Amino acid sequence: MTNPILELRNVRASYGSIEVLHGVNLSIGRGEVVALLGPNGAGKSTMIKVVSGLLRPTSGQLIVGGRDVTGAAANALARAGLCTIPEGRGIFPNLTVRENLLMATYSGHKLSDIEESTYTRFPRLSERRTQLAGTMSGGEQQMLSLARALATNPVILLLDELSMGLAPLIVAELYQQVAAIAAEGVSVLVVEQFARTVLGVADQAVLLAHGKVQVSGKASEIGEDVLAGAYLGS
Amino acid sequence: MNEDRIQTFTEEIGELKLRGARADRERWLLILGGLGLVAGVGLAIFGGFQASGTTELGDQVAFLATGTLIGLALVIAGAALFVRYSIARFMRFWLVRLVHEHRSETDRVIGALKDIETKLTK
Repeated sequence: MTNPILELRNVRASYGSIEVLHGVNLSIGRGEVVALLGPNGAGKSTMIKVVSGLLRPTSGQLIVGGRDVTGAAANALARAGLCTIPEGRGIFPNLTVRENLLMATYSGHKLSDIEESTYTRFPRLSERRTQLAGTMSGGEQQMLSLARALATNPVILLLDELSMGLAPLIVAELYQQVAAIAAEGVSVLVVEQFARTVLGVADQAVLLAHGKVQVSGKASEIGEDVLAGAYLGS
Repeated sequence: MNEDRIQTFTEEIGELKLRGARADRERWLLILGGLGLVAGVGLAIFGGFQASGTTELGDQVAFLATGTLIGLALVIAGAALFVRYSIARFMRFWLVRLVHEHRSETDRVIGALKDIETKLTK
């Protein structure tokens, strides 16, 4: 593998005096989809916060593009091309689809270009362009969230619980989009509670439990027994 | 994703300004406040002892000015920093707890409304 585009090296992270990540290592290559799996409270969202710069690790390093960027501001990383889609989608419910896409023009792209690429990738959003985002279905909101992130032309995409609250059919459709995004060269780190959903599109999988990496390797090699063991604590 | 985009990304990452390795500003100001408090008390006591150890008025005033008064100023400044950042941490946890409880209550209300809706449509 060429040099990874993103690495976590022996990262520890805490909320006050409570340590949540205990020396975690992670590596994502260019154009790779890495699934970060684990039960509730494993530390998955904390890891996303560390990678996106929202939470400074208490020790360890965050290496992005070959440079130690531990402590870099989240907005600076986002501006460079490290984009996060948070749990709960992060769209503006009181704005229309078009207005939500307008928020992405800070990256320097024209609204017309953003709309064109969005409606090509997600035709359903084209029908809803003047609809308030908060009145759309969960799946459509997730599409809008993805579209807004992609409008910034990210190099690294962090997805936190893409499937939350969505029907299995919609989730499958969204993960096909994620696979297409990765095929374009974007590196994707997906946090997901529901392992089977994401393992079909992931290249690598990392299983986190109690703040430590239990298993990591090719997604195709992580079996049901390994997952059950980690989730059920055996 | 072309190589140009990766190159641009790597360059922008290279130009990022980073905070120092141990730059938890709030924590350091809290510690600084505590140290200022302790140092101020020590200095004030030291100035007082030195002043009481001499009968020369000029020396007494000098010890009080450079020891006790500066010590008192340090105590006030240190206490202000310590109290301000202690309260900030406490209020932050309190706010997070409020948000968490509010979300739980909202979920319960939504659950109750769904129950009512189900019962009404039967």
